[in-house]
Amino acid sequence: MTALSRRFGRPAVTLVLLVTVTFLIAPVALTIVGSFAREWTGVFPAGFVTFRNWAEVLGLADSIGSQRSMGWDPLVVLPVGDGLTLMAPAELLFSVGLALGGVLINLVVGVPIAYAVSRYEFRGKEWVNAVSVLPLVPGVILGVAFLRAYPVLSGTSFGLIVGYSLLKAPFMVMAVQSEFESMPLRQLEESARSLGASWPRTFLTVVVPNARSGIVSGAIICWTLAAAEFNFSYVVWAKGTQPLALFLQRHISNSTFTKAAAAVSMFFCIVVAITLLLQAFGTRGFDTRGT
Amino acid sequence: MSTSGRIADVLPAVRGAVEDLGSVAVPTTERDRERRRIAALCAPFAVLLVVAGVYPLLEVVRISVSVERFETVGFTLSAYRTLVTDPYYRRVAFNTLWFAALTTLVSVALAVPIAHALEKYDLPGEGLFVTLVSFPISLPGIVAAFMMLVLFGNNGVLTNVVATFAGANPTDVAVAVSVPGLFLAFVYSMVPRATLILRGTYAEVEEAAEEAAQALGATPLQTFRYVTFPQIRPGITGALILTFRTGLAIFGTLIVIQTLLVWTLQLDRELSAGAFPVAGAMATVYFVFVFGFTALGLRYTSAEVGL
Repeated sequence: MTALSRRFGRPAVTLVLLVTVTFLIAPVALTIVGSFAREWTGVFPAGFVTFRNWAEVLGLADSIGSQRSMGWDPLVVLPVGDGLTLMAPAELLFSVGLALGGVLINLVVGVPIAYAVSRYEFRGKEWVNAVSVLPLVPGVILGVAFLRAYPVLSGTSFGLIVGYSLLKAPFMVMAVQSEFESMPLRQLEESARSLGASWPRTFLTVVVPNARSGIVSGAIICWTLAAAEFNFSYVVWAKGTQPLALFLQRHISNSTFTKAAAAVSMFFCIVVAITLLLQAFGTRGFDTRGT
Repeated sequence: MSTSGRIADVLPAVRGAVEDLGSVAVPTTERDRERRRIAALCAPFAVLLVVAGVYPLLEVVRISVSVERFETVGFTLSAYRTLVTDPYYRRVAFNTLWFAALTTLVSVALAVPIAHALEKYDLPGEGLFVTLVSFPISLPGIVAAFMMLVLFGNNGVLTNVVATFAGANPTDVAVAVSVPGLFLAFVYSMVPRATLILRGTYAEVEEAAEEAAQALGATPLQTFRYVTFPQIRPGITGALILTFRTGLAIFGTLIVIQTLLVWTLQLDRELSAGAFPVAGAMATVYFVFVFGFTALGLRYTSAEVGL
């Protein structure tokens, strides 16, 4: 009996890990492969390689009805010749913008409160901490609440941005707080103050830049989660351009399997791409200022 | 006489409060300045919380006791009476609770060995495994549901493999759009989150005690049972509480795989039917329940606060 766990313990635990990772990742890989297939009715997708699914999802090929793809909006007019208009897929751009708006609000509300909790002692600190790091309201409930409280505003971009920012704020606070807690905040603040910096200046130009890695990772997490937010968007969204998650749901429910696979794969690509972009941009942006 | 007496009692308290406010607005001591800083740091979050959280939720409570469907008028508890007495809603509540509880148990039971393997064993490609296990955290519920369709749907890969071997019709073998399929979709969303919490707990486990136990001849199972497990127990409680919350909040998955009527799905159906008071009452009950058990769970167990 005792030899049993010595012999099989580690292989069994490792097996659980491998099976679970396969369960989590195999469908992701199959989806990406399937998005390039012409049909998927047998065990594996067949008819490689076609870009038709991707073209239709991105709105580069004609499609109709509930399977219709993204619209294209003019993004900027470049001053080349008669004015070259750059077009961008509407749903994509819309979601990128909404999520970025949510991240901006999260930065303004999340970084200061994380600093207050990490740096100072005050009455009710535990409560402030609990309220700021626990996701209190789930998306569906917040959606209902927005519909009741702001009937006109809730379905607009502004309503979506404010909702996303409240839903994802805890992730920002958590990320920034763990960064602050690894920093000698008191020394940092007191050194800057003794060199003549005012307190607001200390906070903005000494404390915040030093916590950049936590802030950037918090921003990345919040962006990804806001771009993927379905529950809240589904309840409050009324008309116009759809947020990405609703666009995905429409394809999953109505489109052919391979086309839905292309839509979902596109989402995988966006999550990975923006994560890399924010990482690169975030560190470079702060570094040039810091040195 | 008595009124003025009462006013005299209240007055110092009011004056104290006003002075507190005054010292925050116009600080004179370093302590006052620090309080003003704390207030300024907390203010943006407080504004967001009130505008986007507290006020909308109060509106939900008001509509739940309203006599009219679309306007907040009068006071009645009939929506709550419906929720309590109608067997239909009792069944929805029952479905919600057992399904979330069971998926939570399975997810945390899987997350413990996963976190153990990732933190304790020197596996080749460990960083890759961490990335792969964490990746589904950023996937919305609808995508988790689609992942299950890919594996177990009518066109699903595993469905077709089983159908080929058993010589059956794929549509008879497909389980994605069924309660077991929904179960797997829930587990798909919940395992990565539970693993994230438990990896944090494992990172704080003291390794010296484990090594001592091993050196004294304890088997790996005994070491886990008597040395590691007591140390990660608060983390497991925390993971159970927070994964259960996740399970209760799942909604997108249910839109794609509508096989079990749970609270969030029913709430959406009430909204579509325009039954705002009942929807409001369902939202209020949900919020109070989740808030209550989280507060109790974190207060009376040694669980750690986290996501």
